Formats: sequence, structure tokens, C-alpha cells
Amino acid sequence: MPKLHVEQKYCKGCGICIEFCPAKILKVSKKMNSRGYFPPESDEMEKCKKCGMCSLMCPDFAIVVEE
Amino acid sequence: MKHPMLKYLKETGTYGDRLPTIFCPGCGLGQVLQYTLRAVENVSRKDGLPLSRFVFISGIGCSARLTSHYLRFDSIWSLHGRAPAVATGALLANPELIPIIFTGDGDAGAIGGNHFIHACRRNLDMTMICINNGLYGMTGGQSAPTTPRGFTSTTSPYGNVEKEFDLCQMAITSGAGYVARWTTAHPQQCIATIEKGIRKKGLAFIEIMTQCPTHWKQEPAKMLKDYRTRAVRLPEGKETERPVLGRNQFWVGEFLNIDQPEWIETYQKIIDRFKGERTPMPK
Repeated sequence: MPKLHVEQKYCKGCGICIEFCPAKILKVSKKMNSRGYFPPESDEMEKCKKCGMCSLMCPDFAIVVEE
Repeated sequence: MKHPMLKYLKETGTYGDRLPTIFCPGCGLGQVLQYTLRAVENVSRKDGLPLSRFVFISGIGCSARLTSHYLRFDSIWSLHGRAPAVATGALLANPELIPIIFTGDGDAGAIGGNHFIHACRRNLDMTMICINNGLYGMTGGQSAPTTPRGFTSTTSPYGNVEKEFDLCQMAITSGAGYVARWTTAHPQQCIATIEKGIRKKGLAFIEIMTQCPTHWKQEPAKMLKDYRTRAVRLPEGKETERPVLGRNQFWVGEFLNIDQPEWIETYQKIIDRFKGERTPMPK
């Protein structure tokens, strides 16, 4: 199963990855990061196709999908 | 595992952490930086070019913060609108360099208009990436020459009355060799176009339409989806057979790709012609 890695201190919670995920498996986390933003998280990573759209469109180099 | 593009960025510097970037949440500048870095990585891997040959040059504005602040490449943060002039100097001093210029719309279209025109006219071998968000973002969202007619900004609260500047048409008429336009909502196309622009002998002008979440006062993802509907792919064929664009729509795609004499090559031919003819200095 692929693993989602979000660099908590780099994320600004803009929500681009959540909107542009083709599988629609990302959602806003309830936990705030150190800068006061809400980073993305996912409960259903088994549906991830590893297309890399989230990390390609991230303006802050914060999100990446691991093998 | 970290983001694959972080290896080209300075994460810490003299004054502490440099990342996260200074840009507003959801700003398109980070996306443009990522597309450019991916294109540079592809070009250097496929063509075997060392990364030390790339040099990044910028002017003033939000877009200018992309270069010397974050990049591990050689970079110059130059004067407002004068990035093409600085790139010209760097290229003439060392023709081996591959200059990549980041300019904003105010940088290229307003204050640096003449530098932009004449860099296109000389057809120097560089890549110019114009990041167009349609207003002056850093100074507070005033209307710029590229603000579309009818759009509201801080200096045009009832809608802009002026017609916007089409920078791609300007580059075509000025004599650039390669002209293309995309938006930040087209990542793969942006990467492929920047790769093509770096390989192109001559000036490659690539306009990337970006979102400005702070001054357009919308959600970043909503603006990107809006760009996907507003941007219409330029069809093949004659200009007269193209469909009529709707309100607020614009063409995207590759507008021009022609081979013209390049400045450095032409000048080198003159140098070669007179080589060996030089008489020694009298004593």
C-alpha cells in the first residue's frame, strides 16, 4: 500500500491537492500544524493509484506519495 | 521520503529556515517553480547537461523571490524589469550558460517592456518564463497592463476599463523564436513546454497564467478549475477558421516555433571571419 507523507511544517493548507486528487481520497486534517494551517490526510490510501498529481501540483513542496 | 524537488532548494540559510516559501497559501509561483525544476531535471538528465550551466535571473516582484532565495543554482536577483538585460550580459560573457528568466507580468509588460521587446528582437538563446497573475501582487493588488477588461482590483473597484496586454502577441511581433502560453492548471504541458524552450536555439517566451488567491479573493483550487474552463487549446489550421472565444476565455498552447538566426551564433561567425587577419600590434 502506498504511504502518504506530508511535510507538516511546509504545508500551508491551500487545498489544491485535495481538489485535484483523481481518486478523491485526500481530506482536510483535524489536526493543526505549527503554523496554524490544516494539512491534508487520508484514511483510504489503498485506493491511491500513485499518479503523483498531489506532489506535482503542490506549491509548497510538502506532499509526496511513497512506495 | 522528502519531495523530489527539494534537493534543488535551499532549506536553511544564513537567517534560519528558508522554507516554507514566503508566498501566500495556494500561490501559483511555487507551482511554476516546481514545473521549471522538473523541466530542468529532465533536460539535464536526457541531454547530459551539467546543472552548473543553468543560471536563473529575475527582476523585482513576487516572481523575483523564486531565484536567489530558494534555488541551489547560480542565480541573480536583479533590477525591476531589467532581468533580460542582465541575462544578456551573462550570456555574452559566457555563451555556454543557459539563462532562465523569471519575470512577472508587471516586470515584463510594464516597467521592463522595452527590455522584453529588445531581448525578443535580438533572439538571444534564453528562456523567459512570464508568470502572469493579471495584477501587481506585491504592492497590494493594483490593476496592471495585463488585468483583463472588467476585472476588479484595488485601483479599479468597478471593473477595469482598459484592454489587457497580450504578451504572447507582443513576443511574436518582436521576433522571438518560440512562444507558448499555459496556465498553472496544466502541469504536464507546462513541463514539456519549458523543456522545449530550454532546448530551443533562440528566445523562448513562455507565459504561465497563475492564480493570486490573496487579491482575487477566491479559493486556490476553485481558481485553478476556473482556469481549466477559461483556457481554450489553440486549434490547428488557419486563423480565420478558429472558433470565437467566449467571455474571459483565452488561447493556450504553442503559438510560434520558428528557426531564426540567433545572436551569439551570428556574432561568432563575424569573429571567425576576421580570425587570423589581425595584424600584430606595432611596438
